[in-house]
This record gives sequence, C-alpha cells and structure tokens, in this order.
Amino acid sequence: MADTPVIELRGVGKTYYNGDIATPVLFDMSFEVGRGEFVAIVGGSGSGKTTLLNLMGLLDRPSMGEILVDGRNAGTLDEPGRASVRRDRLGFIFQFHYLLPEFTVIENALMPCRMKGRRFQEEQEPRMRALLEKVGLGEKLDSRPAQLSGGQQQRVAVVRSLANDPALVLADEPTGNLDTRSGRVVFDLMRSLSRESGTTFVMVTHDDNFALEADRLIRIRDGRIE
Amino acid sequence: MKLNFFTLSVALRHLRYGVGQSLLTIGVIAISVLLIIYLRTVIGGTQIRIVDSVTGSIPHIVLEPAERTPIGAWQLPDPTGRTLYIGETVNLPRAQDKIDDWRQWLPALERDPEVTVVSPVVSGNVFMFRGARRESVRMSGVIAERHDRIVNIEEKLVEGRFLQMTTGEVALGATLAAEFGIRMRDKLRLLGPEGRSLSVTVAGIYETGSGALDDGQIFLTLRDGQSLLELGSAVSSVGLRVRDLYQAEAIAESMTTRLPFKIRSWIADNPNVFRTLDAQDQTINMVLISTIIAAGFGIASILVMSVTGKYREIGILKAMGATPGEIQTIFVVEGFLLAVLGCMVGIPVGIGLLEALSTVRVPGPGGRMTELFVIQIDPWLLLGASAVAVTVGVIAAFFPARRAGSVDPMQVIRGS
Ligand SMILES: Nc1ncnc2c1ncn2[C@@H]1O[C@H](COP(=O)(O)OP(=O)(O)OP(=O)(O)O)[C@@H](O)[C@H]1O
Ligand SMILES: [Mg+2]
Repeated sequence: MADTPVIELRGVGKTYYNGDIATPVLFDMSFEVGRGEFVAIVGGSGSGKTTLLNLMGLLDRPSMGEILVDGRNAGTLDEPGRASVRRDRLGFIFQFHYLLPEFTVIENALMPCRMKGRRFQEEQEPRMRALLEKVGLGEKLDSRPAQLSGGQQQRVAVVRSLANDPALVLADEPTGNLDTRSGRVVFDLMRSLSRESGTTFVMVTHDDNFALEADRLIRIRDGRIE
Repeated sequence: MKLNFFTLSVALRHLRYGVGQSLLTIGVIAISVLLIIYLRTVIGGTQIRIVDSVTGSIPHIVLEPAERTPIGAWQLPDPTGRTLYIGETVNLPRAQDKIDDWRQWLPALERDPEVTVVSPVVSGNVFMFRGARRESVRMSGVIAERHDRIVNIEEKLVEGRFLQMTTGEVALGATLAAEFGIRMRDKLRLLGPEGRSLSVTVAGIYETGSGALDDGQIFLTLRDGQSLLELGSAVSSVGLRVRDLYQAEAIAESMTTRLPFKIRSWIADNPNVFRTLDAQDQTINMVLISTIIAAGFGIASILVMSVTGKYREIGILKAMGATPGEIQTIFVVEGFLLAVLGCMVGIPVGIGLLEALSTVRVPGPGGRMTELFVIQIDPWLLLGASAVAVTVGVIAAFFPARRAGSVDPMQVIRGS
C-alpha cells in the first residue's frame, strides 16, 4: 500500500463531443503521483489543465486510458461508486471558493464530514477548529463566508479540502482569483499543510513562482505532457 | 430518497437561511389549506342547513300500504249475482289505504341498527269546527313520544304540552290558532270523512316556522286519530328516521325487498335538493382544485428559483461526493417541511376563522337567535387538506429537486 501511487494515469485521452463536433483535448497522458508529493501543473490557457484535473477528480470520464486511485481502476466504478471515492479519498479546491452562504466558517470547513454523518462530523470538529485557527481564522469560526475577504474565504476552502482526511487534494488555480499577497498566503498554507499532514496535492497554477516551489512540475502543451 | 443527517440538516438550514422564500411558500400553502377548510366547512354547513330544512320535520323513510295491483273485471267479487255489462258501473265497498298488521312489523323495524325512530301515524283530512267557522285541516294521530323525535314539536311549543298529550286533546300551530282565535283549553269539534265526530281540548300550541305545520295541521293521539278516521287498530303509515339520512334511499331500497310495504325515502321525494347539493359540491371542488393547482405552481416556481440560485453550491457538494439522490432529497424535504409548516399555520387560522363565524347569530323563526352558519369542523377534512397540501408540496418540489440532483459539477466549476 505504501508504495502504490495515490493516483496513476495510463494512456489517458479526452475528447469532448458536442453533437457532430469532436474536440480532442488530452492525448496519451501517463504519470503517477506518489504519496505526500506536491505536484504543480502548468500550461497555457486552453491547454487542458482543468480537463485533466476533472478526470483525476473523477468528475469526468476519460475517452481513453485508465485512471487508478489508490490502485483501484476508477473506470470500473459506477456513479455512486465514484461519488463515494470523492467523498472518502479526494479533496477539492477551486478557483472560486464555493463556500455555502447558509453555513458558518467552521460548518463549511466540516461540510465533507457532514456528508459522512453526524458522528464523524463531531469527531473531526476539534481538528478542523485547530486547522482554522492555524490559518488565522480563529476569530472567524462562527462568521458567515460573506463576512470574510476573498483570501480568507479561500483559506477556508483549503481547510475544507482536508476535512475528510483525503489521500489527494486537487486544486485548480486556487490562487487565481486572489491578489499576490493573499495568493502567497494560500499557497504557503497548502504547502505547509501538505508537509505536515503528508497529504498529496496536485495544483494547477499560472504562477511560475509557485510552480517552482512544488516537488514536481508537469507542463502541458496542447494536451500533451512536455 | 436519502434521509440522513447531511440531507436533513442542509434542508433545514436552507429554510432557515432563506426566511423570505420560506415564509412566502408557507403563506401560499397556508392560504390554500385555509381555503379548503374554510370553503368546505361553510358550504358543508349550508348543505346541512338545506338538508335540515327539508328533512327537519319529516320522516326519512315512510312505509305506506302496498299499492293494490289492478284486477280484471272477471276477478271482481260478484256484487249483484248477475251478469255485468260493459259500461255498467258497480259500487264496490271502498278499500281504505291502511296498514292493519303494523304491530307485527314494529319490533323488526326497531331492531334495525340504522333506524333511530319508528313512528306509526294515522293521517287524513278532517273538518275543524269552532263556533260558526269550519276549516279543513290535516290531522295526524301520533304516539307523541315517538313522533316528536321526527317533528320536534315539544321544543317549539309556545304554550302547553305535546309529549304528555292524552286522549281528547289536540295540539295545533300558532298560525291556525291565531286565525281561529283559539286559545289554550278551548274546545273544538272535529269531523272525520266517514262522518265520525270528536270533541277535543287544545293542549298545546306550537310555532315551528314551517307554514305547513303551523297553519293547516293538528295533532291528536294515535287512538283518537284512529277513531276519527274509523281505522280500528290500523294506521295510515309508519315514519322512520335513520342514523345517516344520506343513506335513506339505500335503506329504503333494501327494506322494499323485505317488507310488504310501499317504501319511500326523502331523497326520492326531493330529487332537486340532491341535484342542487351535487352542483354546489362540484362548483366548490372546482374552485378548490384550481386553488391547489395554482398553489402547486407557485410553490414549484419559488423552489425552482431557490434551486437555480444554488447551482454553485450544489455543484461543489456533488464534487465533494454528494450523490444526486442526496441533493434531490434536500429539496424534496424542503418542499415537504414547507408544506407541513403551511398546514400548521393554515389549519389553526382556518379553525379560528370558522369559530368566529360560528358565533355570528341572527334572529330565526319565532324570534329566537340562531347561528347564521352551521359550522361543523370535520377532523377528516383537516386531515384531508393537510394530505393534499403535503402531496402538492412534495410534487412541486420534486421537479426542481430532480434538476438540482442532475447538476453537473464540472459545468459549475468551469464557471458557466
Ligand atoms: N465541454 C467542452 N466541450 C468542448 N470543448 C471543451 C469543453 N470543455 C473544455 N473544452 C475545451 O478544451 C480545451 C481545454 O480546456 P481546459 O478548461 O481544460 O483548459 P485549461 O488548461 O484549464 O485552460 P485555462 O488555463 O484557461 O483554465 C479548451 O480548448 C476548451 O475550449
Ligand atoms: Mg482551467
């Protein structure tokens, strides 16, 4: 188990079909991400980064090839099976925070736990409180997302992605919508959480500084790994 | 449906957070429930009134002598002992319309669980004399304790008594009494169609509000009636009241097969009343159904708005592993809870309104104050209205919920 990659792509390709129009986006991608790695994905706009991340996050199915999460072929899973892998093994951070406005900061951070039942949520609460305090949101636990700045909201989203103690966190331009300073804070946060918890991160970014600080860099051009 | 901590708590939070939308929906449901309860009860009350005014002082079912089947001339008893020729008239002794063996059938009628009152009656037109004046009136000879449970004379007495009326006594309506200047204890002479006369004392004067009873009607004891009409121990008819007056026709029909009488129910006698009630029912139901449909669309559109406004949240929840079933459940539960809350508002308000309405009183017949509306709140109606509201709430929620369940997280994430 220890040496199975967290995620492995074998000859993955993706073509979008809109009626008669086929748009090939990704071609023959093969790579794996080891446990605890911090991987950055970079590439030009429209090169297929988001497409790749959606495939890795089991939000979409590849047109070709296989994706293995924890050594398990995700292609063989039905939708509920894929949803349960996302629920148990994956964390997500997006360019926009997508916090739920009806819930407080701590409740939002615990949302993935809520899906797994009240008991689990209660068990995880101290850990999440501690995490939020660590990222400087100790005062804001019971605030609503709307009362937070963009950078603070994204920090909540980062903490939330760790709520179910995932094997892999997928982040699509998590700093893309933030100013340089807040972006830095969020990135450093991800980096340090990754180190401390040993959680694997795959992050899409446009910022070369962040990319260079990653353990590994995957460059994509026109749907292929460079 | 996936009822669990996650779906229930998110649904509840949505309702609590979107108070405005929730209150709007609850209001729509409450008003529909209120309308159902209010209109049905008020209409039901007027229908009770109408039926009451028709059946209030008549038997629900009347047993009369079986109709004699016509017989051929060759079957006639020979009245003259000679040949009859065509065109010749023969005077036969007139057979009276009467029931001789009524006592024999009484126990069976009284045992019938559907029957609440059995009242043998002797009735016919007689002349009433008072000084020089003569008037034809309808006479009913009755067993007062039994018949009072049909006509309710005792309650409507202006003077004297009805239940304790004895031989040689008469009870009559106030209008008739006034017309003849008759007062209590006055003596009257009655003359039957067979020439039999009887002297009676006025023992009771009543006012029912019904012209037929107050003007041209007098009551005697059964025995006096029998002797005035020379019926011996026979009666003219037997009147029945039944537990459920809407069942009268069915009961009458089943009795026809068992009893040797001509049996009529009040329903067969008053077909117009029933048609009117039916038409009323249908009209009111149409109004209520349109209300419910409109409410359903109202609720659905509010919930569609609510779902559309939450696409991003739904997308992220699904990305994080919520299943379509769970998302759908969240919104169906919201529809259900809103409907339940709507009932919890609509029902008490409806009952309150009806109670207020039931205290409105107006002068009735005889100057007595009576309720303007008959208000009988039927618990089944409350239950039915709630069931309708909840069903409509859930169905209205179902379509937006299904749309929520099928939101594609990728689309949300791409920001489209
Ligand atoms: N549903 C779709 N149907 C057809 N083409 C699509 C669809 N989604 C994405 N594409 C195309 O696929 C290509 C890759 O898109 P993708 O979003 O993965 O790029 P990206 O690298 O994330 O770009 P950006 O840096 O701008 O976010 C683009 O050319 C895009 O137009
Ligand atoms: Mg992208």
